[in-house]
Amino acid sequence: MSDFSLWIIVKNLIWATQWTVILSLIAFVGGGIVGMILLFLRTSQVKWLEVPTKLYIEFFQGTPLLMQLFLFFFGVALFGIEVSPWMAAGLALTLWTSAFLTEIWRGCVEAVPKGQWEASASVAMSYIEQMRYVILPQAMRIAIAPTVGFSVQVIKGTALASIIGFVELTKAGTMLNNATFRPFLVYSLVALIYFCLCFPLSWFAKRLEGRLNVAR
Amino acid sequence: MTYHLEFSALLPYWQDLAWGLLFTIVLTVVSTAVGIAVGTLGASARTFGPAWLSGIVRVYVELIRNTPFIVQLFFIFFGLPALGLRLTETTAAFVAMVVNLGAYSTEIIRAGIEATPKGHIEAGVSLAMSRLEVLRYIVLRQAFAKIYPALSSQIVIVMLGSAVVSQISAPDLTYAANFIQSRNFRAFEVYFVVALIYLVLAIVLRYVLRVIGDRFVKVS
Amino acid sequence: MFTRVTMSGFAALLLASIVGFATGPARADALADIMKAKVIKIAVPQDFAPFGSAGADLKPQGLDVDMANYIAAKLGVKAEIIAVTSANRIPYLQTHKADLVISSLGKNAEREKVIDFSAAYAPFFSGVFGAKSVAVSKMTDLAGKTIGATRGAIEEQEITKDAPKDTTIKRFEDNNATIAAFVSGQVDLIATGNVVAAAITEKNPSRPAVTKFIMKDSPCYVGLNKNEPALLAKVNEIIATAKKDGTLNKFSEKWLKNPLPASF
Repeated sequence: MSDFSLWIIVKNLIWATQWTVILSLIAFVGGGIVGMILLFLRTSQVKWLEVPTKLYIEFFQGTPLLMQLFLFFFGVALFGIEVSPWMAAGLALTLWTSAFLTEIWRGCVEAVPKGQWEASASVAMSYIEQMRYVILPQAMRIAIAPTVGFSVQVIKGTALASIIGFVELTKAGTMLNNATFRPFLVYSLVALIYFCLCFPLSWFAKRLEGRLNVAR
Repeated sequence: MTYHLEFSALLPYWQDLAWGLLFTIVLTVVSTAVGIAVGTLGASARTFGPAWLSGIVRVYVELIRNTPFIVQLFFIFFGLPALGLRLTETTAAFVAMVVNLGAYSTEIIRAGIEATPKGHIEAGVSLAMSRLEVLRYIVLRQAFAKIYPALSSQIVIVMLGSAVVSQISAPDLTYAANFIQSRNFRAFEVYFVVALIYLVLAIVLRYVLRVIGDRFVKVS
Repeated sequence: MFTRVTMSGFAALLLASIVGFATGPARADALADIMKAKVIKIAVPQDFAPFGSAGADLKPQGLDVDMANYIAAKLGVKAEIIAVTSANRIPYLQTHKADLVISSLGKNAEREKVIDFSAAYAPFFSGVFGAKSVAVSKMTDLAGKTIGATRGAIEEQEITKDAPKDTTIKRFEDNNATIAAFVSGQVDLIATGNVVAAAITEKNPSRPAVTKFIMKDSPCYVGLNKNEPALLAKVNEIIATAKKDGTLNKFSEKWLKNPLPASF
């Protein structure tokens, strides 16, 4: 126990925090890109594009993230596809994030008044053009607050990657607990670090939301 | 290498799955009921309570909403015994779920309360209703009608999040999946089937919540 | 909301897309692959002192880690050490995330169906350990008691099989959790290895894990995938040499604080 001073615990946790941050960024950026593609499919009004997208969203929103991680990590690899904890965690979190972001953004797109669609259609804009020049710029304004808010869920979601052996903040916490036998201290510190990562984002999201309401 | 799917490898374990499913359902139902009660109290305290109480509730809500559920669970199960508070894994799972949903529903219900028009409260007061009666019949009733959809989706999220309680050996559906996987080494089949069970559970839960909403929470 | 038809359709779709990969390229001989890549991936425990646990830099250290480095050195390749848990070490092997599992792995019939084992490289006695106050000295004494164990570990499978029906077995995902459950007082008894219990006692003298009874002599083997005769022969050859020249004994004295037992 003597070789684990408080400082070493803190140092190791902070070191592990970088992986939480990196994994969160991968999931958020990747999820954003996939989510944007899905948003186009989902709002395309083309049945055979919409239905699979809907099922995809249903699957990732309707099953536990933990199950998705297990499936990607242990399940898919059985078929001979190499999956490192990195890939499994990154991929599962990306797909999970994309499903939620698509739904959030779809809500924002639908909040844009119908007249805007009709007006842009009347000047012979294609669907992509309508989205690009008319709908998205307006939807984006309302989308910022819930999107920032969801980033907090992504950061917290990365904690589950610890269960498939990805060494990030939570995993480092359990490892240090095993080496020091000071669970109260270790998990308090882990919680504190997550709080420091998430609270500013939550606060920012709330402020954006408030400002938007005033503007309307 | 070729891997042959063999879903029949799950059959001998169907009882484990059934018990796990039952645990997950009971865990969800009980912690939803208690969690919403906590959230109602929390939201009332946050809006109408004295500053110190409102402050405490705010800290509680922010702490829970900004840390992962698994860390809360580990803290309750492994950390609290250091302070002399020892909960069994099942109790710890229930407590963690209630604490978690309590915080989210506090925030959701509070938003509903704040959206109640001031005039309605004044009308209630002018009818000589007590503060509690105003809260119960005017504010909360309207608040619930307004936030019911948000609350419903939070309940589904919490149900799915409950998979994590398997990590402290609480015998839920995921625990059953892990157990079976450690016996027959059929990871894909087990997790795939259990993921589908969760999916069905989520769909059924959403449906039940909608029926309850239609019947008891009049959406005006 | 979707109907049952579309849901099963979706399931079939997902399955089909994944099964499509099942006919991927057949793997060549693992030993040849390792020698070509000049790297061997070895899974070691991350939470099982003294076989493998996190050091002050969070890197694994212990007997299994020394053994892994030794085998890699004898093969003349680089060792890529992967920290795993009891529960996921066999999936790691099955999914080729690791070439070898050197993770205090015991042998039993269930496991022999899915993987192969080398010759033994270290002694291991699984047993039941617990707080001083608990009166247990044989398997039948466990009746009505609660005991913690790591899911998928050989001790867990032993007590599942042999403990009285009204014993409550709490299965944890990894040894970290099992040990934490014992140290924090969540369980008073755990099933684990003798040296692991000794390590807990050494690190946390305020709550020693006293030996209640020993269940089984289950030495540690190197685990590897089935149908890899070249790799198996090579590993066995290295272990035989290590046993003869005293390396195994050195490891045992260093980490287990005891020489190899005569029967080994």
